[in-house]
Amino acid sequence: MDFKLTEEQELIRRNIREFALKHVEPIAAEIDENSRHPAELFAKLAEGDWMGMPIPQQYGGAGADYLTHIIAVEELSRSCSSTGFTVSIHVGIACMLLLLFGNEEQKKKYLVPMAKGKHLGAFVLTEPGAGTDVMAATTTAVLNGNDYVLNGTKTFISNGPIADTYIVFAWTDKSAGRKGMSCFIVPKGSPGLKPGEHFKKMGLRSSQTSEVVFKDCRIPKENIIGQPGQGMGIAMTGFDHGRVGIAAQCVGILQAALDESVKYSKERVQFGNPIARNQAIAWMIADMATDLAAARFLTYHAAWLKDQKQPFSKEASMAKLFGAEAAMRHTIKAVQIHGGYGYIKGQKVERLMRDAKIPEIYEGTSEAQRMVISGNVLR
Amino acid sequence: MAGIWVYADNPSLTLELLTAASSIAEGLKTGVAVILSHDRDRAQDYIDCGADEVFLLPPLSGDRSAGDYAPVIADAAREKKPDAILVAGTSGGKEIAARVAARLDTGLCGNCISMSVEGDSLVMDRFMYGGAAVQKVAFMAKPALATIPPRAYEPSRPTPGRQGKVEELPAPPISGIKVAGRRGREKRTEDISEAQVVVCAGRGFEKKEDLAMAREIADLLGGSVGCTRPVSEELHWLPEELCIGLSGIEVKPALYLGIGVSGQIQHVTGIRDAKIVSAVNKDENAPIFAVADMGIVGDLYEVLPKLISALKKAKG
Amino acid sequence: MREIVACFKWVIDEAYIRRGSGGDLDLSAVNYKISDYDRNAIEEAVRLKEKCGGSITAVTVGVPEATRGIKDALSRGADRAVFIADALFAGLEPSQTASVLSEAIRAGTQFDLILCGEGSSDLYAQQVGPRLAEKLGIPCICYVQKLDVEGDLLTAERRVEEGVEVVEAKLPALVTVLPDINTPRIPGVKDTLTASKKPVVTVTAAELKSIAEARLKTTGITAFRMERSCERFGTDDKEITRFVGALRKKGVI
Repeated sequence: MDFKLTEEQELIRRNIREFALKHVEPIAAEIDENSRHPAELFAKLAEGDWMGMPIPQQYGGAGADYLTHIIAVEELSRSCSSTGFTVSIHVGIACMLLLLFGNEEQKKKYLVPMAKGKHLGAFVLTEPGAGTDVMAATTTAVLNGNDYVLNGTKTFISNGPIADTYIVFAWTDKSAGRKGMSCFIVPKGSPGLKPGEHFKKMGLRSSQTSEVVFKDCRIPKENIIGQPGQGMGIAMTGFDHGRVGIAAQCVGILQAALDESVKYSKERVQFGNPIARNQAIAWMIADMATDLAAARFLTYHAAWLKDQKQPFSKEASMAKLFGAEAAMRHTIKAVQIHGGYGYIKGQKVERLMRDAKIPEIYEGTSEAQRMVISGNVLR
Repeated sequence: MAGIWVYADNPSLTLELLTAASSIAEGLKTGVAVILSHDRDRAQDYIDCGADEVFLLPPLSGDRSAGDYAPVIADAAREKKPDAILVAGTSGGKEIAARVAARLDTGLCGNCISMSVEGDSLVMDRFMYGGAAVQKVAFMAKPALATIPPRAYEPSRPTPGRQGKVEELPAPPISGIKVAGRRGREKRTEDISEAQVVVCAGRGFEKKEDLAMAREIADLLGGSVGCTRPVSEELHWLPEELCIGLSGIEVKPALYLGIGVSGQIQHVTGIRDAKIVSAVNKDENAPIFAVADMGIVGDLYEVLPKLISALKKAKG
Repeated sequence: MREIVACFKWVIDEAYIRRGSGGDLDLSAVNYKISDYDRNAIEEAVRLKEKCGGSITAVTVGVPEATRGIKDALSRGADRAVFIADALFAGLEPSQTASVLSEAIRAGTQFDLILCGEGSSDLYAQQVGPRLAEKLGIPCICYVQKLDVEGDLLTAERRVEEGVEVVEAKLPALVTVLPDINTPRIPGVKDTLTASKKPVVTVTAAELKSIAEARLKTTGITAFRMERSCERFGTDDKEITRFVGALRKKGVI
């Protein structure tokens, strides 16, 4: 048993914290208010190799372990949840799937610019009628000469309006059930690829989300990732990795909620005393700190299992489930501690509370996580 | 024989060091010597102000810097064996003191904040950990060297009729450093180190324009505006000459009013000699309140307009 | 430029120092860091290397636990490190630090330019740089805010009481830098990961000829306290008027 991070992990955590305080924190409220994707920030992230951290250096990444990437997502999310999440989707899912399932040529052509942060990736699975129920998807890919032709409508696609490389799931043989789905690389500018407009959302507003429509979208047949029919397995692997990222995002949100609550409750004076001296407030903070510690351990453990090449699907779901629900629960408390001020735009806790809702929904709802976990436990 | 030497690169600091030297000379049963590079023709004035001996350093040509005197001072000390050498804590002084100490293989107490004689030895205090702690030091070799921050002592006043010796020191050897040019301070800002009232702006201000409120209060009180390090160094709202603290200016006004100042120790050490310390901060636990005589716990944006009108009313 | 040496110290991060209940220093929860101004020294070395080529050796004296600082310094752009490490090196005073550094540097480190921070963030004695220059017998230029090297000629702007002095010196020389000379960059992930692959030479106390006796002895360290009793005032008009009245009573306005 060893609960210590390595020297490198500690140094990288300190560096990303310094980066976040210098470059992310000052613009977080503005990019939320304007639903803006801060391209300039992502250029800086790329310079520090934060956009391809766990990808080997031969493929343009930094060659760190997955836990280090997770720590970076946590620290970025502590300042801006949208930024942490965009990095998580890009690195944790899009890059990781190309690394794990792409062939050498695909890695050279698509993974290298992504891991260097020059291209942004997206994970394109969800459809209007197919959220948790992936089998209800209708998008198809039909082999036509040397091309696959894709048709269908995807929605709630993170990085949808701005991605350079779309990792897309479509049926190549609907009759084969789970074994009939395949996974494709669709580069930006492919004929028939139509990314939609950024949705107006409750929270996570600077993370760009849209529909992605495929209308007779033609891609070369070598753009299939793995073999035809492997898509479902690839998607599930993507979820496993992505969920640890969402869990890290929640740890960052919880840490920020705690930071803000501690600071405010020591400053805010009512009835002649700082409100932190009231047990009602102090206990909220105790619970917040405890759940933060628990969420962090679950998350780091899942990432550690991944680095040890052990199964981590159940642990990823547990970390995400617990982290998401704790983040929602405690950001509500953080707003409560801030009273009327917490309800005003521009207060960090107000943004934290809006941002905390989506982790209970995306990359598998909390209910879907319970399905995964109970499925594992009751096996 | 003069056992305590002082060296500063300008007249007013030399007089301050004479006061410091006199304060320990008696305890060490010795006299005081001034090493003079400026004001060479005014040796008698320094004798009037407490020097028993004056060592004159030969003038330097314009392309040489004061640091070149280090070997001369070290050689003189090796020969005459003083008990202590006090050097003004300017940047030039701190460099020369360290180099002389190295040449004499002796100890140097940098930025000495107080000194006393215990038995027949010198004991000094200085800050460490950015001012969070006071380090007490004793010297294990002679001479004892120390740098004294400017304005820590009052300038020594003349007592007419004093007698003293004047001695020329040899010219310094050629050094490897050539001065190619000099520039005065680019922007002469007001000197807050002597202000009677200092209003200090801290990180609590949200934007630069709001500093106008601090300025207005300073004007009402006939004082000056200073700031904390983040305000000058990170936000660049005010020039660094107005930055108060361990690595900036030390102030000693009758009244210090910190507005939105958290009270980081590096800052607080720069205001320790203020007669009255007052503060406005919304964080009741801000460290500034622990070192303040009077504190208003409240948002500066609520407090300052009220304070301004109350001060106007008080002025009538 | 051929060889640049950047000296640094691994120090307690003073932001973590708490005052204990008895007024003593509570160092139980402290973290460590590369002394602030030494980060500027390392950054300046990297900046000069980018401009003029050469290579950078980071050198530190400290207890064996300071090894974390070695990785940190290497991640900031040094090519190699010399770690003069020994449990005996806890609490060295500046004259000792300078003599240990000079001996270790003489023994096996090439240098054309040595860079130090103007002082350390823990002791802030501001001595090691100039003392080291004297020990090595090279020109010393302190409190530098701008530095340039052309061939073997160095040009520096140093801050003096009256303003700025522009000085020139032939290499080898030693320069201490002010924090405004540059903004240290944040190391990237690759920088941090490759740090552990860079060569580190460790020198122990036993390998040095001798360790000089302390010339300055610390006889006590106490928490700094200002004895003031804070009278509290509220924010309503009556309280503000009382505040102004109190200032007047104290005779400061």
